[in-house]
Amino acid sequence: MVAVAQHPNIELITYAEVTEVSGYIGNFDVTIKKKAKYVDWDLCTGCGTCIEKCPTKKLKDEFDLGLGLRPAIHKVYPQAVPGKPYIDALNCLKLSKDKCGICEKVCPTDAIKFDDQDEYVTEEVGAIVMATGYDLFKWEEAYGEYGYGKYPDVITSLHFERLVSAGGPTGGKIKRPSDGKEPKNVAFIKCVGSRDDTKGKSYCSRACCMYTAKHAYQVKDKIEDSEAYVFYMDVRTAGKNYEEFYQRSLNAGAKYIRGRVSKIYPRGDKLVLKTEDTLLSMPLEVEVDMVVLATAMVPGEDSIDLAKTIGFSVDKDGFYQEAHPKLQPVETFAAGVFLAGCCQGPKDIPDTVAQASAAAVKVCGMFSKTELATEPMVSEVDISKCSGCGFCVPICPYNAISLKEIQERGHHGPLTRTVAEVNSSLCQGCGACVPACRTMALNLKGFTDEQLVSEVDALCL
Amino acid sequence: MSVENKSGWQPKIIVFACNWCSYAAADLAGLNHLEYPAEVRIIRTPCSGRMDPMLVLRAFNRGADGVLLSG
Amino acid sequence: MKKRVGVFVCDCGTNIASVVDTEKVAETAKKIPGVAFATTYKYMCSDPGQELLRTAIQEHKLEQVVVASCSPRMHEKTFRKAVEAGGINGYLFEMVNIREQDSWVHHDRGQATQKAIDLVRMAVSKVLHNKPLQISSIPVRKKAMVIGGGIAGMQAALDIAEAGHQVVLVEKEASIGGKMTQLDKTFPTMDCAA
Repeated sequence: MVAVAQHPNIELITYAEVTEVSGYIGNFDVTIKKKAKYVDWDLCTGCGTCIEKCPTKKLKDEFDLGLGLRPAIHKVYPQAVPGKPYIDALNCLKLSKDKCGICEKVCPTDAIKFDDQDEYVTEEVGAIVMATGYDLFKWEEAYGEYGYGKYPDVITSLHFERLVSAGGPTGGKIKRPSDGKEPKNVAFIKCVGSRDDTKGKSYCSRACCMYTAKHAYQVKDKIEDSEAYVFYMDVRTAGKNYEEFYQRSLNAGAKYIRGRVSKIYPRGDKLVLKTEDTLLSMPLEVEVDMVVLATAMVPGEDSIDLAKTIGFSVDKDGFYQEAHPKLQPVETFAAGVFLAGCCQGPKDIPDTVAQASAAAVKVCGMFSKTELATEPMVSEVDISKCSGCGFCVPICPYNAISLKEIQERGHHGPLTRTVAEVNSSLCQGCGACVPACRTMALNLKGFTDEQLVSEVDALCL
Repeated sequence: MSVENKSGWQPKIIVFACNWCSYAAADLAGLNHLEYPAEVRIIRTPCSGRMDPMLVLRAFNRGADGVLLSG
Repeated sequence: MKKRVGVFVCDCGTNIASVVDTEKVAETAKKIPGVAFATTYKYMCSDPGQELLRTAIQEHKLEQVVVASCSPRMHEKTFRKAVEAGGINGYLFEMVNIREQDSWVHHDRGQATQKAIDLVRMAVSKVLHNKPLQISSIPVRKKAMVIGGGIAGMQAALDIAEAGHQVVLVEKEASIGGKMTQLDKTFPTMDCAA
């Protein structure tokens, strides 16, 4: 991470969103909204005095998924890159109620800027790599049998990551969210939202089998006399050293039970899991102190809007659609836009890194040329036939057609007329505009009406 | 797939296949040696969006017995 | 434009020739109006195959070329280059798929040969309507944008930057690192995520 921040060729723009993209391969104009941080990062040294002194300290920390607390002025987490704080305007006393202002007084470099505004900048780039990641499936909205999120000790795997992390709210000690006690018996439920057509997604989220094996191992390793129960449909360990890792969990004593959990309900301060061991064909009831759900990976919340803005497609689940599942796994249907990581589909860290490097190579390959050759099989307009109706403009999936005005000589002097124009850099040669044209002014080079008709005629001889 | 064909009549089936999916799928069928009736004639189109109803009518008009659009 | 089509039928070893009577296809092609030359060859995509194409274009003053072989998704670019090397525009060329969509999916020699002939006739009539097309070029701005600063974004940005190009990395949170920074140790090596 630090390598990224320090690299002389990388300009880091954080706390920012892409709002608009125009142009085409080799020539994109990207508008970025830099959200107001209320801290001038050029002046800020990241000393942290403001964070210490902020009186609004008891806000739920998003980074710890609500398991820890943070002040209104804060860093995403202590080792954030860049290591500078920003103000949560909604909860800041100064910005919401015009009181306090302590951070401004204690800041040694006068970096606090309460009048900071959102700022828009435009970047001119030649290629775009999409790496917008994933979100977790909102199980609380779908799984009533697991309590719709009303039992505090039913948590997700990401919560568990925060609990075992040395930098987390418990300093790496596994404690239950409800009473802070160390749980003895922990149940893990896999495929919550994954491989569940009725309540969630049809796909496998790919990383869960492995991180659950890790979590079960960590429970056995960190808590004495503990039990880790893993409820699974299948154990999928396709990957280098993955099966060995799973075996390590089994050897550490993790208990794998094949079966779906049908209900979770509280009994005293424990949780009871109703389930079945499908290998023994036996109903089963297990009492545990904490339940960890391996929830599905789903596309990021704003990712579909971003795809629409840039102009490429998403798959049935909302993940970014690669141009070909096998032969073009990092390209999109928008030339010059590449994919990396979970925005294209669920994957684990090694696969993500590999795909990111592949996307980088595609970009570098593009940049190794000063000019790009364009496929000549694109649509063209015969302006003598074009009526300028504009019917083709919304039909084009690549926004390649626009209307322009031309000057012509008419019977009574100069005449202005509207006609369609195809941007040959944006046109991908699909030809959808051709049948839409009522005056037959549009034709697709290489697949013209004449060519296709002659093929039909030749076959029907 | 097999068609009972006692009269010796051979239908003329014209397929318009999108280069990116159906045409590629027909190639894949070939790679896997999946046999189908030989009366099928495939015309490659850049995309099913390119398909003009005029082409379908033209095919029927010229004596095609069936037209399949796939994309 | 003059109509002098050259038709080249590939045997693809035995991949095509074992089911399709390529000689018959070539002989029949010669009778199609516009066809000035037709021949078969064992492997059209091989060096000698392409050489045959180039010399035939010059010797027979061909204006258009049809190659009947495998799928255009496989070798369209190969033959387009060979056609250009022969001195005519690469888009005055059509390919006929008589392997994936004929010899590999049919076993009746008569029917498969008839299909190949029909497909060649189709391509000949199309190629007579082909026009020379020119590849144009557009300039490239050598600066990349990476949207998202998680592992994927960071890795891509670093790789591009290391190759010597400028990168703008945009992240919606105030820190890069993404979900990865929330993780403890990672499988299968159990090294730290940050």
